[in-house]
Amino acid sequence: MFTHYIDLAWRSLRQTPLVTFLMVLAIAIGIGVTMTTLSVYHMMSTDPIPDKSDRLFAVQLQPMDDGANLATGHDMPYQLAYQDAINLQALSGDFLRAPMIRAGFSVHLNTPQSKPVVEDARVTDSDFFSMFNLTFIHGSAWTETQAQSAAPVVVLDEEMAQQMFGKTDVVGESLFLGERRHEIVGVTQKWRPNIKFYDLNNGAFGKAERLFVPFSHVKAYDVDTWGNTNAWKFEETRNFNDKMNSEMTWIQFWVQLDTPAQRQAYGDMLMAYMQQQQKLGRFNREELAYGLQDVNAWMSYNKVISEDNKILVGLSFMFLAVCVANILGLLLAKFMRRAADVGVRRALGASKRQVFYQHLVEVGMLGLLGGAVGIVFAQLGLLGVRQSYDYYNNLANMDWVMLLSAPVIAISACILAGLYPAWLVCRTTPATHLKVQ
Amino acid sequence: MFEIKPTLNALMRSKLGAVLLILQLAITLAIVSNAVSIIQDRLTYLNQDTGYPEAAIFKFNSLNFDKQLNRLQQVELDEQQLRNIDGVIAAAAVSSVPLSGSGSSDGIQLKPMPQESKRVNMGYVTGDEHMLRALGASLSEGRDFTEDDVVVSDGDGRLPSVIIVSRAVTDALFGPSKGLGETVYWGTNPLTIVGIVDTMANQWPKSSFGENTALIPVIRAGNFQKFIVRTAPQDRAQVMRQIEELMLASHRERVISDVTGLDQKKARYDAKDVLMMRMLMTLIVVLVIVTALGIFGLSTFNISKRTKQIGTRRALGARKSAIVRYFVVENALICAMGLALGAAAAVLLGQQLMQWYSVPALGYSFIAVTAGLLLLMSLLSVLMPALRAANISPSIATRSV
Repeated sequence: MFTHYIDLAWRSLRQTPLVTFLMVLAIAIGIGVTMTTLSVYHMMSTDPIPDKSDRLFAVQLQPMDDGANLATGHDMPYQLAYQDAINLQALSGDFLRAPMIRAGFSVHLNTPQSKPVVEDARVTDSDFFSMFNLTFIHGSAWTETQAQSAAPVVVLDEEMAQQMFGKTDVVGESLFLGERRHEIVGVTQKWRPNIKFYDLNNGAFGKAERLFVPFSHVKAYDVDTWGNTNAWKFEETRNFNDKMNSEMTWIQFWVQLDTPAQRQAYGDMLMAYMQQQQKLGRFNREELAYGLQDVNAWMSYNKVISEDNKILVGLSFMFLAVCVANILGLLLAKFMRRAADVGVRRALGASKRQVFYQHLVEVGMLGLLGGAVGIVFAQLGLLGVRQSYDYYNNLANMDWVMLLSAPVIAISACILAGLYPAWLVCRTTPATHLKVQ
Repeated sequence: MFEIKPTLNALMRSKLGAVLLILQLAITLAIVSNAVSIIQDRLTYLNQDTGYPEAAIFKFNSLNFDKQLNRLQQVELDEQQLRNIDGVIAAAAVSSVPLSGSGSSDGIQLKPMPQESKRVNMGYVTGDEHMLRALGASLSEGRDFTEDDVVVSDGDGRLPSVIIVSRAVTDALFGPSKGLGETVYWGTNPLTIVGIVDTMANQWPKSSFGENTALIPVIRAGNFQKFIVRTAPQDRAQVMRQIEELMLASHRERVISDVTGLDQKKARYDAKDVLMMRMLMTLIVVLVIVTALGIFGLSTFNISKRTKQIGTRRALGARKSAIVRYFVVENALICAMGLALGAAAAVLLGQQLMQWYSVPALGYSFIAVTAGLLLLMSLLSVLMPALRAANISPSIATRSV
């Protein structure tokens, strides 16, 4: 029966090419606009590391004196002071942890032929690689001993290795970061999360770093952050050493806690740490607090999805509603004109239900056509987005979820529009129309 | 004479089509007026004067990696070299670049820290006495920095004693047309305001303190240094092209990067707003087209449904103009209802947007103008079907269906 309805629907659509064209166009434009904004929204809100996003936590402490505030306006700094990062890193316990900053170096091979390039680097601990699912294709992360002695070692990603050496197996070779020679200990697979969720301070959609060096280099070589530093109170800082000893916050800190019990224990540990620091004259708040937010919570806390995008998604769904109203009107016109036809079919024994289904199949088919054309429009829209704002290059794309959503939304919208006209049509009494005929 | 009563009666008998149109028009009015208001807000921001001749200025970075290098000497040398280039008017090494979205911000206040006093947030740029000229900003009061004002600080934390600020800063601290010669505190360090610039945007012109800017005469040479160069607008491209080579020729162990015009920096900083405007404009255009098509389609349908009725009226002596008038009046009635509903919806939507997002209040004039244009569009879309209806021959009435 279904195939028969499809056949009937196809005939009916071809009978009125202009109205069909207008309806498909309306739904296609609606879907095109909606999917353009929705795709960007979807990419911004997609879980970047689904298999462990609920086990990775960004750590925040509340170091500010009572009454102190950050210019950024919310109550807790996003980042930690250097001394807290070092202390938290040293806490005992069997869990992965990674203090980190974004830094940058001029990278070169120290040969007359090699042209130095400026390159971002992630300065962090070796746990970073397993925490954030980076895969080594050659070598491995630096060892604990190397980290402790601030050995000049570096991990590259395959793209960086290819760029510098023309091959990926470069373990044992060395690379210059500025004036310092670093030994390459590992090469990771290319890693480019759409959202730079582990460092939302420095642009949520920036490119992930391709170079990694141990966190101990911060102290050993005065490696300063290329990201934000925030201060909530006045301190004389005359040099980098002052900055490391200050209350300024500039270090990001992540931990991996696999069970709720672990999470609870870690929270208690943070509390105990702050109380211990309180005795040393820091953390002068009546109410001590810490933040332990998993990846998705951290993204919404940092407002990764832009306001503009939320507004556009809302407006485009309202626009889709206009398109649906339009199609409803056209369907009404079209179906009512066919009432006589339906009268004959009813008289020949078709049930109301069958007539109703037949018309829904027809509008469903309209939705499918409109959705398909809509995907083309959406691709054009996304192309326009990428052209206007290259920062969104990774985001202004449709993944398979969006590609499947387009026809689903289109068909649902059409069926919504078709319900009332189909119901009107199937209600027509055969007798009246037969008489006129 | 407009036969409003019978038209209304006829409308009430086939409500759905009218309801659909009313809804379409209402949503269209709500979306378009709010979208136009947002566009207008962004345009105002984008067209704001920043105080800099953006097309005549460019910036670049130099990242040194020579351990032995005397960085301060190198900065001096670089500046000197830049000024010697043909076409360069001024050049300075600076801590950050206005309009770029990146740099340092801090507060200055009336009393030294940690005393409580009136405080103003600002973006600040440090550099030497060439900084103001290189930025092309013009002083409205006071004087520029001199060589003696500039403090060279190599990790010893020495600070200068003078500062140049934008008018927004002195307005906030001292009130209108005051501030020159006054002392403000940067932490514990006193600074005398020696110059005031009327318009001078900081690194984040979109922020709440985007007009609060300070220039501070300190040079701190690190291995990462930013430079600002001003040329005549027509010379800029040619100067930009030779920068990397010239800089590397004087000192090879470094990387020159991000040689970018100030207008391009600003465009990058504003790209998100431009994108939002483009998307809203696209939305408005397609929305208006779809709504116009809807009105056209529905009028056509209405008229074809009433072919017999029209024929009868014509047979009974109605003029063609009366038929046209009937449909135009009918459409105007529907339109009026839709626009009334839409005006309410627009206000509601505007309030919601303002409550949840940083969107300015919706001006009623936006609703009024949009409503007027929609009415016009609606009349135009009904005209063609109505004219066709008027041409229906009276003899139609005598045939069945």
